[in-house]
Amino acid sequence: MRLQGKTVVVTGAARGVGRACALAFSREGADLALLDVCGDVDGVPYPLGTVSQLDHTARLCREQGAAVLTAAADIRDGAALRAAVDRTLDRFGAIDVLVNNAGIVAPSGRTTHEITEDEWQVMIDVNLSGAWRMISLVGPHMVARRSGSIVNVASTAGLVGYRHFAGYTASKHGLIGLTKATALDYAPLKVRVNALCPGSIRDDSGAEGRMLTEIARSLKLPVGEHEQTFVQSQPMNALIEPEDVAGAALWLASDESRQVTGSVLTVDGGFTTR
Amino acid sequence: MSNSEQDAAVAPRTPERPAAPPGASCHALRVRLAAGPPADGPDGPAARFAALAAALPAATGSAAVLPGTARLWTERVPCRADAPAAERWRARELARPLPAHQDAPVRAVLLHYADGVTDLIVVARRAALDTAALYAFTAYLLGEATDVALTAATPPAAEPAEYAPGAQPDWGLGRPHGPQAPETRLLPLSADHPETDAGSWATALGVVLARYEGVGRPEFAALVADAGASAERIAPVPVAADGGRTLGTVDKELRTALAAGETRPGPTTAAAPGSAAVVGLVFADRDPAAGLPGAVLAEYRPFQLPPFPVTVTVTRDAAGERVLRCDHSPRTLSADIADQLLRHVCQVHRTLAEAPDTLVADVRPWDAEEADRLAAHRRTAPLPPFAPRRIDTAVAAVAAARPDAVAVCFEDTRLTYGELDRRADRLAHALRALGVAGKDRVGVCLERSAELIVALLAVLKAGATYVPMDPAHPEDRLAYTTSDAGLTTVLTDRADFPGGGTIRVLSPAELEERAPERCDGPPPSETGADDPAYVIYTSGSTGRPKGCVIPHVNVLSLMAATTDDFALGEDDTWTLFHSSAFDFSVWEIWGCLLTGGRLVVVPYWVSRSPEDFHRLLREERVSVLSQTPSAFAHLVEVERDGADPAPVRLVVFGGEGLDPRMLLPWFDRHPETECRVVNMYGITETTVHVTAQTVTRAEALTGSKSVGHALPGWWVRVADPEGRPLPAGVAGEIHVGGAGVAAHYLNKPELTEQRFLTDPRTGERLYRSGDKGRLLPDGRLEHLGRLDSQVKLRGFRIELDEIRSVLLDDPQVTAAAVVLNRADPDDAATAQLDAYVVMDGDDTASVRQRATRFLPEYMVPSTVTALDRMPLTTNGKLDTRRLPGPAPAPRPATAPRPAAATTTAPQDAASGGDTFEEVLLDVWREVLGVPVGPDDNFFDLGGNSLLAMRVGAALRRRGGHTVAMRDLYLRPTIRQLAAHRAG
Repeated sequence: MRLQGKTVVVTGAARGVGRACALAFSREGADLALLDVCGDVDGVPYPLGTVSQLDHTARLCREQGAAVLTAAADIRDGAALRAAVDRTLDRFGAIDVLVNNAGIVAPSGRTTHEITEDEWQVMIDVNLSGAWRMISLVGPHMVARRSGSIVNVASTAGLVGYRHFAGYTASKHGLIGLTKATALDYAPLKVRVNALCPGSIRDDSGAEGRMLTEIARSLKLPVGEHEQTFVQSQPMNALIEPEDVAGAALWLASDESRQVTGSVLTVDGGFTTR
Repeated sequence: MSNSEQDAAVAPRTPERPAAPPGASCHALRVRLAAGPPADGPDGPAARFAALAAALPAATGSAAVLPGTARLWTERVPCRADAPAAERWRARELARPLPAHQDAPVRAVLLHYADGVTDLIVVARRAALDTAALYAFTAYLLGEATDVALTAATPPAAEPAEYAPGAQPDWGLGRPHGPQAPETRLLPLSADHPETDAGSWATALGVVLARYEGVGRPEFAALVADAGASAERIAPVPVAADGGRTLGTVDKELRTALAAGETRPGPTTAAAPGSAAVVGLVFADRDPAAGLPGAVLAEYRPFQLPPFPVTVTVTRDAAGERVLRCDHSPRTLSADIADQLLRHVCQVHRTLAEAPDTLVADVRPWDAEEADRLAAHRRTAPLPPFAPRRIDTAVAAVAAARPDAVAVCFEDTRLTYGELDRRADRLAHALRALGVAGKDRVGVCLERSAELIVALLAVLKAGATYVPMDPAHPEDRLAYTTSDAGLTTVLTDRADFPGGGTIRVLSPAELEERAPERCDGPPPSETGADDPAYVIYTSGSTGRPKGCVIPHVNVLSLMAATTDDFALGEDDTWTLFHSSAFDFSVWEIWGCLLTGGRLVVVPYWVSRSPEDFHRLLREERVSVLSQTPSAFAHLVEVERDGADPAPVRLVVFGGEGLDPRMLLPWFDRHPETECRVVNMYGITETTVHVTAQTVTRAEALTGSKSVGHALPGWWVRVADPEGRPLPAGVAGEIHVGGAGVAAHYLNKPELTEQRFLTDPRTGERLYRSGDKGRLLPDGRLEHLGRLDSQVKLRGFRIELDEIRSVLLDDPQVTAAAVVLNRADPDDAATAQLDAYVVMDGDDTASVRQRATRFLPEYMVPSTVTALDRMPLTTNGKLDTRRLPGPAPAPRPATAPRPAAATTTAPQDAASGGDTFEEVLLDVWREVLGVPVGPDDNFFDLGGNSLLAMRVGAALRRRGGHTVAMRDLYLRPTIRQLAAHRAG
């Protein structure tokens, strides 16, 4: 039990990488607060997580013996996030790990100067500002206890550029910057902050992710063809599974990585190594 | 902005003592509800909790109002109540403390399992709800009570006032760098164990701790978590378990004191850090379901995290059976010691109930089974069978079997066993011709040489006892030995051997001249295996040297005990490195010759030159090497400097304690599979060796102090000053019994009586070693130095070996010694600890600096002096008398050097030489007796609290200027003090 008795907050927990992380943590003895927007967001051209999906994640975790709180909260809504964090502290008394996983991949698919003001805003607000909001709520608590691990789920787009994904790429580069600066702020206070950079993650698993589909759609490509392109661009010739990302997140969350902070860990089959 | 500036801006201030984690002051209760109306129905726990929280006392008749932050949480657990996942969930709820940042005194959780079972879990801060209140509150939620008071019975709160998570009992065998995570050991109490209360368990624990700590009034605390307890708080226990009182008396007094609420000034009120109670008792022996209506089962946790570093709890398991529980961490106690503590508390408690008239001194903390196990541990194996005979007879048998095999080599001399035997026979006849009779003592004072071996064997063949003396010994020591041993004949090359005309002094050559040309075997004698073979004089720490009388059979026993294990045989080549006056030579000479090996006698000058000795090891292809650790350190150095590895297959350490960390470079060149390294603890009085520990990299890395199990036929035990055996982990005096115990001290019946005892229980003879040791749970012995290595310095009890060990931890340091010196023997204030090291480089300041990180201030050596080599006695042990005077106190490497002129600066006439700074320089110089600069740290220069007082007195004498003691500690340099005064 690598997280026995610890409390983990996961955002974007209804499906995909968030669900895989929640399940991995519950297996290792953690109790969980699972947050998701549980509804669609104006300007995001695809369906986001739902209440049913979040409840399903929670049920899977409870079957592992985890006590779970769920909260429908938009990562852009500071008040809703504060309520969720307060409730978590009431229930569990402490937050040991924060996984900033909530994020969107679209609106995308345009040249930089064609992105509208609203499209730019929503991308930065969710992917970058959302993580900052959570840190500003949970950070003081961790700092007070001189203990905690924050895992920001960025992307290979935080390390390299992608054509027609300027907003997404900028937000993920920004998230890595946020990770490094916060890591320095918190290092003397024994709170660790690290970033994970997954490559392209398969959609068709029990985690119900749909990122690859939305990227393909943004690029106006058939999903199969797009998937094939990605597989070929990854040296290990395979797509990443959500569990692969969860495994890395688990390590960063646990005390096994107790001297690791400010690091950027890729889970991309070697993609950014070239 | 630089990162370091950022860090400084937010860096936390370290609190002086960590606050107790919330779990240490919370307790928890789990109740399984009987089947009935839904638990979250209108009169279920959830509704009743809500009523309290909503402040509706009128509706319920309750006096309690919960703060708004108190919650009852309802959880649907999607699995059966007996599923492992459900068990894990319950365990976490019971262990989840109330967070420090909330004011809620209580949290309740309802767990509804998929199979319709419901658990109610209530967690409460003990300060707000003591055990009685927690039960009343829970009973109220279950629908029983109509009134509940949310208050603890007795302030002050039951918070651990002093929380010392890192504290380690001396007897705990904790691993200093082991995990801090709590561990739990359990001991179920048998059904016939006497009924009890908190007072009796406190008595039992107190008596056990008194024995473990060797004191009459051990410090520990107790928490009585009982619904019936009048005062529920952590309090020091005023136990007076002096040996002469009965258990019943101790118990009665303790009860009276507890009932009166009396606490003596104790751990929780002491101001000094580190004095918080390390061991605590928690009494929570109640049926957990009592007083809870409709409870199918109940589980009570008197604390969520152990409130003491070592917490002994009397409680009940989930089945309601009584159980003793010990919570500890691997740092505080090893699991074996935790089990042992529980067994002993249990046994003493039983004795209290069944035989309250037993004197504390007579209490045996172990039962018969454990006593048997202890006895089995200390007696490793029986001595293999062998024919008891004289040493010389056994050597003659080897000579008869292999007359042409080489027995002794010395420089260019080679003696076969046949030649050795014949020459010794002839000299034996010559001794007889001189009038030496059987059982007479004959002095042998010869350099290491082939003649020495022949002479020793000849004395034995004459039926006499040899008394070896070192030619390097001073004249008065030789004269003392000669007279004390009543010698009439001494074989020596030393022309000036003292004694004048009263004794017969002759050289081996002169004896040879008197020997018959031929003889047929040794002269006949009536000397037997049980008669003395040799008398070796040992100088104890006090008094004059005393002669240990060792019979032949002891030496044959030693070889019977070791030959098979060490695979000693004809193919081995041994060295005789040590003086024949040191009993390590007994092992070297007779160990070799009794097993048919080849003995290479090391010339004295070679034994003092590590390079030459190493060359000899290679040239003679020595396979069995016996060394003191101090001497061996030099050999390791030689190999580190590039010499090819010596082809040794067995290294035997003896003569002094081994710090195995020095062996790491040796193992790098000599893998354990090629060369076995054995650390042997032994004493002259017990025939060279007593125990053997094979040392591997594992022992070297951990700095193990284990000297292993007793040799077959020998046994060891560790006893307190009253001679009672001590349990594993507890340090005391090492007692040795078995095949090696000496006959007696020559001509010293009183001393013999003091040191050689007869075990009243077994009738066996044993020797009180004066060495400090402790047994490990597996029966191995740890040697912890001399009982008298403890020194007192300004009221502090200091173990010099402990300081030495810290110095040896420094990677730069390869050898270390620490001594207590007094510059003026009559002035206690001049006492200081001086350290000597052999090190890479010469940065002694950094060695001292590092030591300050691991040692309390009063244990940090005032000086550290680098030496090329540690001086050794003629026996190869550290010779503290030959250590040079300490180097001047090291100055911190980073501090600015004092101005070159400080020691010779002419007094500045213009300023009158009496500025505050100059006066201080003058006074410090005078008091410390060393050159002083304005940036020198008072304490680094050897200053201490007594000298600081002297500084104060000197300043007062000069009028006007004073320095408060506190200022001196805060600003220990003259520049800082002057600046402070000016500012």
